[in-house]
Amino acid sequence: MQNQINKEYLNPVGKSVPRIDGKGIVTGQTKYAFDLKFANMLVGKMIRSPHPHARIISMDTSKAESLPGVRAVITAKDTDQIKFGSNEYFFPHTIDQMALESEKVRYIGDEIGAVAAVDEETALEALKLIDVQYEILPHVVDVQEAMKPGAPQIHESLNNIAVIMPVNFGNPERALKEADYVREDLFYTPAAHQSAMEPHVCVAQWEKFTNKVTLWASTQAPFKCREALAKTLKMDLNNIRVIKMAVGGGFGGKLEMLPMDFSACLLSKKAGGLPVKICYNREEEFLASRRKHGMIYKLKSGVKKDGTLVAITGEVIADGGAYCSYGPTVIAAAIMRIFMVYKIQHFRVTGYRVYTNTPVSGAMRGFGGVQAGFAIEAHMDMLAEGIGMDPVEFRLKNITTPNMTTINKMIISSNGLKECIEKSTEAAGWSKKRGKQRHLRRGIGIGIAADVMGSKMYKSHESAGSIVKVEEDGSVYLFTGAADTGQGSDTALSQIACQELGVSYSRIKCKAGDTEITPFDTGSFASRVTFISGNATIQAARDAKMQILGVVAKEFSLNMDNLDIKAEEVINTKDSTAIMDFDKAVELCYSFHYGNQIIGRGSYNPNTTPIDFRTGEGNVSGSYGFEAQIAEVEVNTETGEVTVLKMWDAHDIGKAINPKSVEGQIEGSLAMGLGYTFMENLQFDKKGRPANGNFANYRLPRAIGMPPIETILIETNDPQGPFGAKGMGEASLLPTSAAIANAIYDAVGIRLKELPFTPEKIIEALKEQQEKKVEV
Amino acid sequence: MVTLSINNVKYNLALKGNETLLEVLRDHLGLTGTKAACDESECGACTVIINGKAVLSCITLAADVEGDEITTIEGLADKEELHPVQKAFIDTGAVQCGFCIPGMIMSSKALLDKNREPAQEEIEQALDGNLCRCGGYLKIFEAVRQAGKRIKDAKPN
Repeated sequence: MQNQINKEYLNPVGKSVPRIDGKGIVTGQTKYAFDLKFANMLVGKMIRSPHPHARIISMDTSKAESLPGVRAVITAKDTDQIKFGSNEYFFPHTIDQMALESEKVRYIGDEIGAVAAVDEETALEALKLIDVQYEILPHVVDVQEAMKPGAPQIHESLNNIAVIMPVNFGNPERALKEADYVREDLFYTPAAHQSAMEPHVCVAQWEKFTNKVTLWASTQAPFKCREALAKTLKMDLNNIRVIKMAVGGGFGGKLEMLPMDFSACLLSKKAGGLPVKICYNREEEFLASRRKHGMIYKLKSGVKKDGTLVAITGEVIADGGAYCSYGPTVIAAAIMRIFMVYKIQHFRVTGYRVYTNTPVSGAMRGFGGVQAGFAIEAHMDMLAEGIGMDPVEFRLKNITTPNMTTINKMIISSNGLKECIEKSTEAAGWSKKRGKQRHLRRGIGIGIAADVMGSKMYKSHESAGSIVKVEEDGSVYLFTGAADTGQGSDTALSQIACQELGVSYSRIKCKAGDTEITPFDTGSFASRVTFISGNATIQAARDAKMQILGVVAKEFSLNMDNLDIKAEEVINTKDSTAIMDFDKAVELCYSFHYGNQIIGRGSYNPNTTPIDFRTGEGNVSGSYGFEAQIAEVEVNTETGEVTVLKMWDAHDIGKAINPKSVEGQIEGSLAMGLGYTFMENLQFDKKGRPANGNFANYRLPRAIGMPPIETILIETNDPQGPFGAKGMGEASLLPTSAAIANAIYDAVGIRLKELPFTPEKIIEALKEQQEKKVEV
Repeated sequence: MVTLSINNVKYNLALKGNETLLEVLRDHLGLTGTKAACDESECGACTVIINGKAVLSCITLAADVEGDEITTIEGLADKEELHPVQKAFIDTGAVQCGFCIPGMIMSSKALLDKNREPAQEEIEQALDGNLCRCGGYLKIFEAVRQAGKRIKDAKPN
């Protein structure tokens, strides 16, 4: 290689090497789909329903079509009217959304067509000229109202219940009778929004005559996007190219194809192959992308005096909005995550995923686990209190352990949960603080969680592919289908490749997420990329290394089994002597005599089983990650304001490939968790339209008010993980609200069961507490 | 005709008059490093520096800043060398998706140009208008402190 090899970046795994895309980002050179501009590019806009629930009687687009500057108008008539969704195998009826709706609209914002024009002004003008006749139908916004007999029927399903998911193990009713203490709690968690900084945006260009289409997208899953486009456009996979640009955040909201992606392709086709860009504004983001399910979480559980958790029962109702999206998986995750955390023998929780005439609920970081995490971890604290046990001791008694199989057949190998609890409580000074600071209105609380790294909740395989190519000058390319959406997976995977290949991280470049060039990968979700794509990358790098060593062995008549590449040197592993440096070995491979290209391949599919939704059984993930979180708070009883003084987060991440990136994920999760705890609450008006759908009214955490966070990385060296690593992008978000709720209780003795914890709710709860005291 | 001085380059632009500086930067000049995440002055992604002050380009009329010195993220690095703020953002791991980062860096630079050793409250105040959804701000605070120190070390007075 011509450029100097940076020796600091030898053996990069475990080092906080700079982000591979860092220089591009800090200089403004990195291109997002948002930044794309092509010659003759048209502006596309979606035609949306102004009604929450209505039948489409007729649609006249002729006036819009004749407006100068309009190049294409499409409606359902231009489509094959094929539905899409997320869980075709287990719940075929939840494939319920049309790329463009033809008969009915089910929420304000529902897509029924799209226009493309030479500029935004003309496109917006064209929208006004679309004449749609509707027959208005009665609508329902509230999830509990929607479940009542006689409520407006949004789809075919009875009482608007799209999915009923009963999960049963053992005999919880009998077990509850044997419990020493039983209690029942009801929790409410609101709808929220992913609010990635980059809005949903895409550019599509149709190739006339060859009938290929390219979509430049801001997506977490380019290959899943391609699959959905192929299905709805009735095209072959290899006639669709999805190119993932730099993605300005996703958090679950960019996991699916949306009608806008489909429409951009079709508009470009109709406009004779001119490129079409569709970019949501912030209002559309809140209205018509995806959102987090609001949930009602009821729990009734029993414990023995000695702290043994004997049974958990309950019910979860999730407000799904107008279509199913990832709803089936979200409700499953909201129920079944608990099995990774607590040893449970008797369990019965039934989930209901319900349609309403509101924006579509889908995936959001944590996949139902955030809502469940609040309910379960607050409930556990109350159970512990009921038997007079310290909440930490109670958890230590009931948590899962290494090398066990859970009641629903999840196979847990490495498990650092105990260590997470011990290390975080020790760092936070738990025993000195818990229950001892009420005179200061200060309190400390805990929440724990676990997470998957990949999720076999779909029919399809869950594999990742990787190619590691060594160029003739010794520089290295990694081709991965994985989608870096900001978490730093391009960097982590490059570190993994260089570590295995035995070279400095300064040699590598990464090309990711282009369906025509890179290998397949299911995408960035379920904290899967480090674990699954990382394993594929190790394989590819090892394959490349073996190809180099094969040439060296041949040239020097050595036994290949005794050769390796370490820190830029081909070495003899028997006596650790250096044979030649990496550049020389590559030169040999590409020499006149050998002409041997170095192209390593890897394909990894975790050893998992799909979850059986009828029973709740299945080992959905190749490994499991664990997490304990402590919050210390101070409550102002005059104003109801809560100050989070500090948070501690201990996370079993197996092995930190890039410690700074890991910390960044934890801090970001906590910030999102703090937002959901104190301010984020996406509300809807009587017609189901977002009532606070902008950044002025939907408040996100800001610089002022962020508490200090101490992260503690627990490295359990997972036997399946790449260099022992596990995925970790979501778990830290799961227990945050509960840790804070439990800390508020410790501080002032009030139990909050409805998020977010606004000052008004705190004052209200304090008032009730006073009234109770007076009564006593 | 409006003449704008952006990153020490003069641009003569035929404008209608109602274009925002953000539109001019991104759509007319292709300077897409400056981002936008809300178009209603809530997110800070469009922050640029005008005459030493951090300003939201989405609510600034281009015609109003004629004759002013405008610096965008593209104009921060000195030829081959990154600006200390840019370096610090990389080294502290403050960068995640990166969409808020140009705005964050411009706000940070405007702060450090006035005060190389800002107190924690001053950093929070300066960055409170810049939303980040990935990172939780802590690494960004660290980047600002580190950049300030580097600037001071390079030019002690």
